[in-house]
Amino acid sequence: MIRFENVSKIYPGDFMALEGINLKIEKGEFVSIIGHSGSGKSTLLKLIYAEEQPTEGHVYFNDRPIDSIKRRLLPFFRRNIGTVFQDFKLLPQKTAYENVAYALEVCDETKEDIAEQVPEILDIVGLGDKMEKYPHQLSGGEKQKVCLARAFVRRPLVLIADEPTGNLDPSATLEIVELLLKINTMDTTVVLASHNKSIVDKVNKRVVELENGKIIRDSMIGKYNV
Amino acid sequence: MKLQMKLLKLRRTFNEGFTNFRRNGWLSFATVIILSISLYIISFTAILAVATSIILTNIQDKINISVYFKQDVGEERILEIKDKLIGFQEIKSIEYVSKEQALEQFRKFGDNSPSISQALDEIGDNPLLAALVIKAESPDQYDLISKSIAESSYSEEIDKIDFYENKEAIERLNSIMGLIKKIGLALGAIFVFIGILITFNAIRLTMYAQRQEFEIMRLVGASNRYIRAPFIFEGIFYGIFSAVVVMVGLYFTSMFLAPLTEESISGGNLATFYLKNSLIIFGSLIFSGILLGTVSAMIAIRKYLKI
Repeated sequence: MIRFENVSKIYPGDFMALEGINLKIEKGEFVSIIGHSGSGKSTLLKLIYAEEQPTEGHVYFNDRPIDSIKRRLLPFFRRNIGTVFQDFKLLPQKTAYENVAYALEVCDETKEDIAEQVPEILDIVGLGDKMEKYPHQLSGGEKQKVCLARAFVRRPLVLIADEPTGNLDPSATLEIVELLLKINTMDTTVVLASHNKSIVDKVNKRVVELENGKIIRDSMIGKYNV
Repeated sequence: MKLQMKLLKLRRTFNEGFTNFRRNGWLSFATVIILSISLYIISFTAILAVATSIILTNIQDKINISVYFKQDVGEERILEIKDKLIGFQEIKSIEYVSKEQALEQFRKFGDNSPSISQALDEIGDNPLLAALVIKAESPDQYDLISKSIAESSYSEEIDKIDFYENKEAIERLNSIMGLIKKIGLALGAIFVFIGILITFNAIRLTMYAQRQEFEIMRLVGASNRYIRAPFIFEGIFYGIFSAVVVMVGLYFTSMFLAPLTEESISGGNLATFYLKNSLIIFGSLIFSGILLGTVSAMIAIRKYLKI
């Protein structure tokens, strides 16, 4: 489903973020990408949702090279991918409900469909009673749940989570991990980047470890440390 | 179906823009005020310029040349000359004032002074002269007209041309008018420029505050057009609200200045002039407000939404 072929990424200033990456992720997999800060985790994810383009090699999404998509059409490609970030990236002027609804509105969903789907998904993540709250009125864990709801409401093929628990306390972290696993059981491929040992151990699925931009380990069922 | 989709998008982005406008609160308020101030200055200058030119035209209307004919020149001959003169394109209108009319006017003028009418009665004969009252198309042509009359074939029949008495006043008025036009134009241009700069900046600040949201919207899968539209609507709202604010502001200004301009504009003062033309003023305010808002929004978006 996602395939990296000999991918290198060099940022301006000759900083080699990724080097010679070959990686294949199948549909329905749950892959944890681990490694220290600056090891290239975020860059790897950015190449999937086309925020960055590879300097060398190609990244394929369902056998189509992502770098061949015109920039103007990228928003349409991104509708296949849900994203969750450490810093949430919620629209501050919108309520939880509106933040999730926005992801559907941009896809031209009708008002009736939105009114049906948004409360449903917010219920799933456990925020059914906080739909009208603005981001600044929610705790970190709650914000991240809104993000998960927004990322998942369109039933994307892939969900990408870049350090989603970086700003959360242990109990909120646990809840988010459980939600990610739940989303994975609904046939969505999940790619999680984290340097949090406990959550990778808890997931207990495929682990890809990066160091200085190279893959140094890829174990099908793994813990943070071997 | 496609049209329906477009309408849905339009309605959504419109609502989005309106919600932004409402929830931005202080920022929207500040932008509207700034936009209003620049629009106010521009339109006030424009109204002042229009009003001044109306006042000057009125004054110009009151200037004329009177050509007095000698006692022995008959009415028929004078009308013949009038017909000749009316052919000149510099001349706007000619009015014939007979001896009798002149006397009547003179008596009316001297109503309060019985000694004048007494004196007139004493003379018995009508001492006043018949005249042609000539108005020119523009004040700087009076000199030319009076000269050509003085040098014409019938100059012998003319008693006097009383343009020379007004000459100084006319020339002064001419130079004042030229000066006012120049100053008005320069001031207007400066204020328009300042207004555009201020508005661009205000809207760019709004955009700058929201630049991260562009990124989020793109990540969530919104197309550029979908992201852009609400901000353009927001710019339009700024324009409309400012136009209303300026309308109210100009109303009070014109009321305040009304006593100063009493009777100087035909049929009233600055306030009645404003009210009479309020629809046109409002229309152009809304138009320029929307134009300013939209153009500023588009430039700002270009800067922060890398397409």
